[in-house]
Amino acid sequence: MNLWLGFLVGLKEIWAHKFRSFLTMLGVILGVASLLSMFSLTAGIAKGMREYMGQIGGIERVSVIGQDVPPEQEGYFEISPGRTVADAEAIVRSAPLVSHVTPVSQLPSGTLQRGNQAFRAEVNGCWPDYVPINKHTIAAGRGLSELDLELGLRVCVVGRLVVQRLFPERPNGNPIGEMIKINDRPFKIVGVFDFYEREADKRKRELAQKNATPRQKANGPPGSRSKPPGSVMRSGGFSSFRGGSMFDRKNLTVVIPLTTMFYEFKSANVVGKEDQGPQYKLDQLTFQIADTERFDETLDQVRSVIQTTHRGISDFDFDTRLEWADAIEQSVRNTRMSGGIIAGISLLVGGIGITNIMLASITERIREIGVRRAVGAKGRDIFVQIVVESTVIGIIGGLLGLVASLGIMQILIAISPESNAPVVELGNVLISFGFAVIIGVISGIYPALSASRLDPIEALRYG
Amino acid sequence: MALIELRDVIKRYRVGEQEILALNGITLDIEQGEYAAIIGPSGSGKSTLMHLLGCLDTPTSGTMHVDGIDVSRASKNRLAELRNQKIGFVFQSFNLLPKMTVLQNVELPMIYAGVSGSERTQRAREAIERVELSNRMKNTPLQLSGGQMQRVAIARALVNRPKIIFADEPTGNLDSKTGANILELFRELSVQGSTIVIVTHDAKIAAQTPRRIEIRDGLITHDGAGLLTASDS
Repeated sequence: MNLWLGFLVGLKEIWAHKFRSFLTMLGVILGVASLLSMFSLTAGIAKGMREYMGQIGGIERVSVIGQDVPPEQEGYFEISPGRTVADAEAIVRSAPLVSHVTPVSQLPSGTLQRGNQAFRAEVNGCWPDYVPINKHTIAAGRGLSELDLELGLRVCVVGRLVVQRLFPERPNGNPIGEMIKINDRPFKIVGVFDFYEREADKRKRELAQKNATPRQKANGPPGSRSKPPGSVMRSGGFSSFRGGSMFDRKNLTVVIPLTTMFYEFKSANVVGKEDQGPQYKLDQLTFQIADTERFDETLDQVRSVIQTTHRGISDFDFDTRLEWADAIEQSVRNTRMSGGIIAGISLLVGGIGITNIMLASITERIREIGVRRAVGAKGRDIFVQIVVESTVIGIIGGLLGLVASLGIMQILIAISPESNAPVVELGNVLISFGFAVIIGVISGIYPALSASRLDPIEALRYG
Repeated sequence: MALIELRDVIKRYRVGEQEILALNGITLDIEQGEYAAIIGPSGSGKSTLMHLLGCLDTPTSGTMHVDGIDVSRASKNRLAELRNQKIGFVFQSFNLLPKMTVLQNVELPMIYAGVSGSERTQRAREAIERVELSNRMKNTPLQLSGGQMQRVAIARALVNRPKIIFADEPTGNLDSKTGANILELFRELSVQGSTIVIVTHDAKIAAQTPRRIEIRDGLITHDGAGLLTASDS
C-alpha cells in the first residue's frame, strides 16, 4: 500500500471523527504553539542583546587598558610611558590588521553651556576614527577632520540629546556653526550625530510619523525634515524609554579633537596649589579589528607593537567583548534549551494523547483490520496505515499549532519588553513543526504494532 | 495435481489450559473449477477447515498445498500474499468497510496487490458489473440492502482473479429469496469456471452443489455427490 493512499485514508479517518481528532490534536497544537513561542521569545532576547552589542561597538571594538605589571618588572616599570598617543601612532604604522584606532583623552565632567542652558557631560578628545569605532554616524555637518586635529581647532561634534538640551527651542534642528562653551572655552559645532534608538522604537516612530496629523507636521522645526527624531519632540519622551539609558549615554556624546583637548584642558594639572605639568596620558585607547575571524592574531600584533612603545613593560591588557558576547550567546542557548525542554514535554504529552486515541480507534476497527488482512494486507501494511494516520494527526496538529502560536505571539509582544520582542525565525518554525511530525510518527508506533499483530481470524470474529 | 491438497492435516488449539483438537486428520483434494460445499454442525471443525483452506492459518501437522505451493509452514506474510493472489472470501456478515464506497471496497484487495490506480478502478468496475451493481458504485455499504452488500462482497472476492472463492455462510444473514439469488450468482460463476467452496450448516444449500463434504468432530464423514446434482438445481 503506498503512503499517499495511506495519507488519504488517514485524513478520511480524522474527518470521520472531527471532534475527537481535534481534542487529540489539541495536545500537539498547544505543544507546537508553546515550542515556537518559546523559540521566538529567546530569539527576540538574543536579537535585543546583539543589537545592544552592536550599538556599543560590537566585538570588533577592543580597548587597551592598564594592568598591574608582573612582579619581576616591578622594580623598573617607570620606564614605560604608559598609554600615550605614541601607542596609537605605532598601531597605525605597524598593525595592519587594525582598521581604525583612536586615542581618547577625557574631560569626565565638562560643563556644556549655551546662553542660560548648561549641563555636565563627558567630553572626549579623540581622532576622527572615534566615530566608526564607536559605531557613530553623522546626521548633519561633518565629523572631525585631520585638519581639526593638526590645528587644534575648537570644534566639536555632539549627540542629539546635547542639541536637545542646549537648544531647547529647536530640539530637532541641526545647529551647525553655532557656538557653545565647554568649560568656558568657545567651541563651534561642526556636526551632529544620528539619533540612536532601538530598532523597535525606530519602527514605531516611523509608523507614528506616517500617521502624523498635519498639526504635528507644522510644529516640526524647519530644516529638520531630513532626520527628525520624533520621540525627542514628545516632551520628556526620551526619559520615558524603558531601558533607554544605554542609548541616552550614546546620544549625549561630545567629541573634540585630541590636540584641542590637550591644548585647552590638559596642559596644566593643578593639584592643591601646584601644577603637576601637562597630562599626556590617555584615558582610553581603542581600536577596531578589521577581520574578527583573525581576532587573536590581531591582538598579538597590537600586543607586540605596544610592548615596543612601552619598552617591554607588560602594563597593559586588552578589554574585549568576546567573552561577554559568548556569555550572551551561552545564556540565550540555555534559555532556549530549558524552554524547549518544557515545551517539548507538553508536546510529548500530546503524543501520548495520540497513542491513546489510536489504541481506542484500533479497538473500534478490529474487524476492519481483519477484513484487510483477509483480502491480503500484510502486518506491515496495517502498521503503515496506523502510523500514517497518527502522523497525519501530528502534521495537522503541527500546522494548527503554528497558527495558534501567531496568537500567542501577539500576547507575548504585548507583555514583553520591547527590546526583547519575540522574533519568528523560519528555522524555529521548521523545528517546531518537524517535532510535531516526529511525535506523530512515534506515538503511532505502539498502536500500529499491536494492530499489525492482531490475528486475522480473531479479528474477523470480533464484535 | 489438485488445486488444493490436504494430507493428514491436524489442527490443535490451546484455549487456556484446555487443548482442543479441531481437525483430526483431514485428507482432501479440491480440483480446479469445482463447486463444493463443506457442511457440518457448529463445533464440527468446518470453520477451522475453511480458515486453513483460505490460508488464514496453518496446520499443526500434515501438509497442505495450494496451487502447487506448500503452505504447511508458510510465514504470515506469505499467507497474506497467497490470500491476496489466489483466494477470495465472502463472509456471512459481508465485512465491507462502512466508510468506503462500493467501488473503494472492491478496490481494496488490489491496493494490497500493488495494482496501479487506473487499472484498479477499471477492474473494480468490471467486477461490479458482473454482480450487476453498476448503478450503486458511489454508494456506501450502509445505503445498500443485504443482498446488494453480499454482491459487493462477491465482487471484492472476484476482483483479484483468485484461483478459489470461499464463502462462509454467505446466505446466513439474508432472507430466503435473496439467499437464493446469491446462490444463483455463485452457480453462474461456477459455470463460468470459478472454483467455489461454500461453508454452511444448511443442508439445503449443500444440496445445491455438485460435491458435498460433511465434517463432524474434526473428521470427514462424507465426501461425494450432493443429494441433487448441479443440473437439477
